[in-house]
Amino acid sequence: MAEISNSALPRLAKGVRLQGDSATGKSVLLYPEGIIELNETAQEIVSHCDGRTFGEIVRELAEEYDADPAALAIDVRETLADLHRRKLIEFT
Amino acid sequence: MTTPRPYALLAEITYRCPLHCPYCSNPVAASLREAPGRLQGGGYSNEELTTDEWKRVIREAAALGVLQIGFSGGEPLARRDLAELVCTAREAKLFTNLITSGIGFDDDRVRSLRNAGLDSIQLSFQSDEASLADEIAGAHAHQIKLDVAAKIRAAGIPLSLNFVIHKRNIDRLPQIIGLSEMLGAERVELANAQFYGWAFLNRATLLPTREQVDRAREIAIAAKARLAGKIDIFYVLPDYYEARPKPCLNGWGQRYLTVNPIGEVLPCPTAPSAIPDLRFENVRARDLDWIWRESESFNRFRGTEWMPEPCRSCPQKEIDFGGCRCQAALLTGTAANTDPVCELSPNRGIVDAVLNTTNLSRANPGDWIYRVNEHATSPHR
Repeated sequence: MAEISNSALPRLAKGVRLQGDSATGKSVLLYPEGIIELNETAQEIVSHCDGRTFGEIVRELAEEYDADPAALAIDVRETLADLHRRKLIEFT
Repeated sequence: MTTPRPYALLAEITYRCPLHCPYCSNPVAASLREAPGRLQGGGYSNEELTTDEWKRVIREAAALGVLQIGFSGGEPLARRDLAELVCTAREAKLFTNLITSGIGFDDDRVRSLRNAGLDSIQLSFQSDEASLADEIAGAHAHQIKLDVAAKIRAAGIPLSLNFVIHKRNIDRLPQIIGLSEMLGAERVELANAQFYGWAFLNRATLLPTREQVDRAREIAIAAKARLAGKIDIFYVLPDYYEARPKPCLNGWGQRYLTVNPIGEVLPCPTAPSAIPDLRFENVRARDLDWIWRESESFNRFRGTEWMPEPCRSCPQKEIDFGGCRCQAALLTGTAANTDPVCELSPNRGIVDAVLNTTNLSRANPGDWIYRVNEHATSPHR
């Protein structure tokens, strides 16, 4: 896919649910025939995919974690691209 | 060893089915009145579980840690209480998937299932066009399935397609993938037949040649790359042609459990027919938590302690778990043996002999035997 731009709107793909897992206290993505346990970073990123743009998500996470936005953008982009490849995140 | 928690429950709510696919994974003796020739405790009957019994099973599964439920069969639409069960599963926060042939769907049922909160539907097809597909299904089903796919799309329910691939349809893989694109599916499973149940009986007519398998693999890999981000293609390998076994179930009693129509709790849906000396507990006699943690059937092949050589000293033992217990039992007579698909198994010759017959013999494998269905069914619920 093309590079994720700052104005891209990542959302959970149709049929994918973000949910807490009471057995572990972690977050999971549930989708047809699959479950992915999210690490803390991925959980933070995915829970921000609710209508905010890629640029906004990076800015907010950078502020929240006092991180370098340029470095963080690489991580967020990688995570979202990976989830997009698995059809768990879509861009509008 | 602490007991792992299960992630997914396969709820086989009925073995009744309008189709006759010769690769059906249901037990060949699926007539519930004859099937369980095994010792049974608890005084329960061979009738399908009631609505209330299934609701209890669903709640117990959620409490045990299950996150996903697949309603399967047989054809789950044969039960009128399906939407009610989906509703119960959603209330228990489970991700709900319906695994269906599509036969029995009409606008009302699509609507009632959507309103119940059904998360996704996996619709089976037998091929890409009616003549072959209907021959495989043993019924005029293909056109109905096309109509059902359109209804599911219109209702906005995520759609997965499942094609069981075998000798007769494997050469049509490009057209099958084309149909999947046309139907707007989100996911497609191209699942080479695995030889259990009816498929084991019909293996000679279903097993493709090496040439067919090699070509299909390339087509599937290319389609997966071309459609990445659009359709998620999941290609299930034809394991007889592999050198190492599949990591069956991700390990026995590790992630999955199945409850069959009469309430038996199974580590694997094909275990009762493949491993006759294993005794299965029933939800009518025990709660699911006890069965998952304590029962002999779930503990027999849990972990790695049960493994004989060559698995016991194999560095792969935590990766493929020695392969499939049912396959070991069906092909070698002993469920604890290394899956004979493995090149390290002393029994690999059994698989090679089957492959040789398929690839070298010019003899016509003959006709397959269609799955027969029980006529005297328990009343529709």
